[in-house]
Amino acid sequence: MVAGQKKKAISEDMKTKQKFFGAPLRGGAIRGAGTEKKEHEQNLTGSAGAKRVGAPHPRRRQEQEKNDLSADLKFITLKNPLIPASGTFGYGEEFSPFFDLDILGAFVMKGIYKDPRPGNVPPRLHETASGLLNSIGLAGPGAEALKKIIERVAEKTSTPVIVNVCGADDEEYLEIAQVFDAMPEVALLELNISCPNVHAGGKCPAQDEQHTFRLVKLIKQNTTKPLIVKLSPNVSDIVSIALSAEEAGADAISLVNTFLGLAVNLENRKPVFNNIFAGLSGPAIKPLALRLVWEVARQTVVPVIGIGGISTGRDVLEFILAGASAVQTGTINMVEPTASVRILKEIEVLMTQLKIKNLNEIKGELRI
Amino acid sequence: MKEEKCKVSENINIKGKYYSMKIETAYIAKKSRPGNFVMAAVSTASDPLLKRPFGIFRAAPPFIWLYYEVVGKGTELLSQKKKGDFLTLLGPLGNSFPGLENKNILLVAGGRGIAPLFYAAEDYVSRNNLFLIYGAKSAADLNLLDKLEALNMTGTYFYTDDGSAGKKGFVTTDIREIIETQKIDLTISCGPEAMFKSLNGELKGLDVENYASLEAIMGCGFGICYSCAVKSAAGDYKKVCADGPVFRLEDIEW
Ligand SMILES: Cc1cc2nc3c(=O)[nH]c(=O)nc-3n(C[C@H](O)[C@H](O)[C@H](O)COP(=O)(O)OP(=O)(O)OC[C@H]3O[C@@H](n4cnc5c(N)ncnc54)[C@H](O)[C@@H]3O)c2cc1C
Ligand SMILES: Cc1cc2nc3c(=O)[nH]c(=O)nc-3n(C[C@H](O)[C@H](O)[C@H](O)COP(=O)(O)O)c2cc1C
Repeated sequence: MVAGQKKKAISEDMKTKQKFFGAPLRGGAIRGAGTEKKEHEQNLTGSAGAKRVGAPHPRRRQEQEKNDLSADLKFITLKNPLIPASGTFGYGEEFSPFFDLDILGAFVMKGIYKDPRPGNVPPRLHETASGLLNSIGLAGPGAEALKKIIERVAEKTSTPVIVNVCGADDEEYLEIAQVFDAMPEVALLELNISCPNVHAGGKCPAQDEQHTFRLVKLIKQNTTKPLIVKLSPNVSDIVSIALSAEEAGADAISLVNTFLGLAVNLENRKPVFNNIFAGLSGPAIKPLALRLVWEVARQTVVPVIGIGGISTGRDVLEFILAGASAVQTGTINMVEPTASVRILKEIEVLMTQLKIKNLNEIKGELRI
Repeated sequence: MKEEKCKVSENINIKGKYYSMKIETAYIAKKSRPGNFVMAAVSTASDPLLKRPFGIFRAAPPFIWLYYEVVGKGTELLSQKKKGDFLTLLGPLGNSFPGLENKNILLVAGGRGIAPLFYAAEDYVSRNNLFLIYGAKSAADLNLLDKLEALNMTGTYFYTDDGSAGKKGFVTTDIREIIETQKIDLTISCGPEAMFKSLNGELKGLDVENYASLEAIMGCGFGICYSCAVKSAAGDYKKVCADGPVFRLEDIEW
């Protein structure tokens, strides 16, 4: 089996990388501090100016003695692990009426292409048991408009801004990545190679090891900011894809994007969505996502950002226990715009209850 | 716009599938304008997951009222709420009806579409000549007649598809004649998609301004998820929640 062989090859390669960097395979792995990484750090502290992305804020020091919520992603330390996910948090500013964006670890902009996109023909949403199927089709204003939005939003918050980079082909991915790589207001890039709502049948680069490798490498070779690669759960062997991304230079892996699903209209005997399939998200997918995060996190050296159905502080700690260094919350932000405030409170309460001093203590410590 | 845990003051079954709910919510009641809507958390569990959108039917701080029809799981749960129960609301949301004075206004309501128009009527009635066309499937769906009567509008016209109440016909049956004889300046409508379609046809070419308050399957209610898109006449998509729910009728592709 070709796929199996490939995986083995990559795993072996990872082991040598391992030796080279002299770091353990999982848990508190220290990422090899190559010059590449130093550049990132400089980029973050240097060009991002006075932003407190690297170190905890002095005012927080007192609290910190109690509960340390900081999330170490190697290339950046976030003040907490909570990152609202792409497509479910608008451009951040829509949430300013509800809470101060400064409370977040980071946040991800809605996915962006070069040109404005109208999105898919409605219906675009179908509710399911404890979840929802969406077929939004990455509607958006285009890269130039997003630049202006980011300039405006970054002025109002010191929380790191992550851009969700999309593309119809490799060239567009690269172009978008470069546009936002050049923006000092942007802390990190997240490569969205996993949107199921753009191509027929839900196809995306993250379903192919070679394509993932090629694309991640292309972006890494031509950009300087840390790169998160967002994976699709709609594959038979997600670990191979994760290792391909890592091998190609990904600085972190985020997973999962939505699960492909089908909704049927019994009355007219047609699929609900014009694209037939749509992406499932929300509490319904949490156990599926948790399993995938655990599988990937124990194999990769780079940090993993867990995504899928996270709605409570308990969910966040479960993902960290499964190996995630940070998490993204999606659907819950649509359902409950103040969810971030509640979730952060719940994390603090749980940490006190369970006597967890800092989140690193439990990262990947699921007892098997 | 705020997400607020509110208290149900009253949840009354008007008739059949139709209910009216009085909710104590100082913030939303104070901030709301006719045409605004709220998203209501019908369940505190994860199923149904999404909040449900409802037009504001009346507001008198610290209370707002909803008028709703039970059509599925979410509205069924809402109908089971009791006095004293908590209900989380997000609101007020969306744009509002235009501010108007000294106009001849025709409100056109189809079924539960009466909800936001009632709020508009309360607001407009003292400063304008107000007319209402209100149609529904049958007598079982035509409600609030006493409350509408009490507003003392200049003219009211009631229709049912089957003739079981009011005149047999649709909201469009006599609309051209009413517009002409009452010298209507503008119409404001709310109802199902089919009603807007025929309304758009009927009103074409008449010298009246037309506003429509739309419904759509909605995700977030405040503009972030792009689920409630409707196609505009210009060919792009509008978000019912954030660009609307009130649009120029002609600006939407029917
Ligand atoms: C801005 C706005 C204002 C509204 N105001 C009112 C109001 O004042 N009173 C009132 O009774 N209803 C109102 N609605 C419609 C109401 O939101 C839906 O009927 C409700 O969400 C259905 O929830 P459910 O769980 O009971 O039905 P579901 O089980 O979700 O669905 C039952 C049926 O209703 C249809 N449906 C579901 N959601 C909507 C929707 N948003 N619009 C149209 N059809 C839908 C479904 O396709 C299905 O056929 C409004 C909708 C919008 C968008
Ligand atoms: C309405 C909607 C829009 C989304 N848009 C994007 C997007 O633009 N880019 C992306 O990478 N993921 C997108 N996603 C996926 C989410 O970021 C997230 O990966 C997924 O919803 C699973 O998390 P959840 O269960 O917490 O929602 C979208 C999801 C939803 C529900």
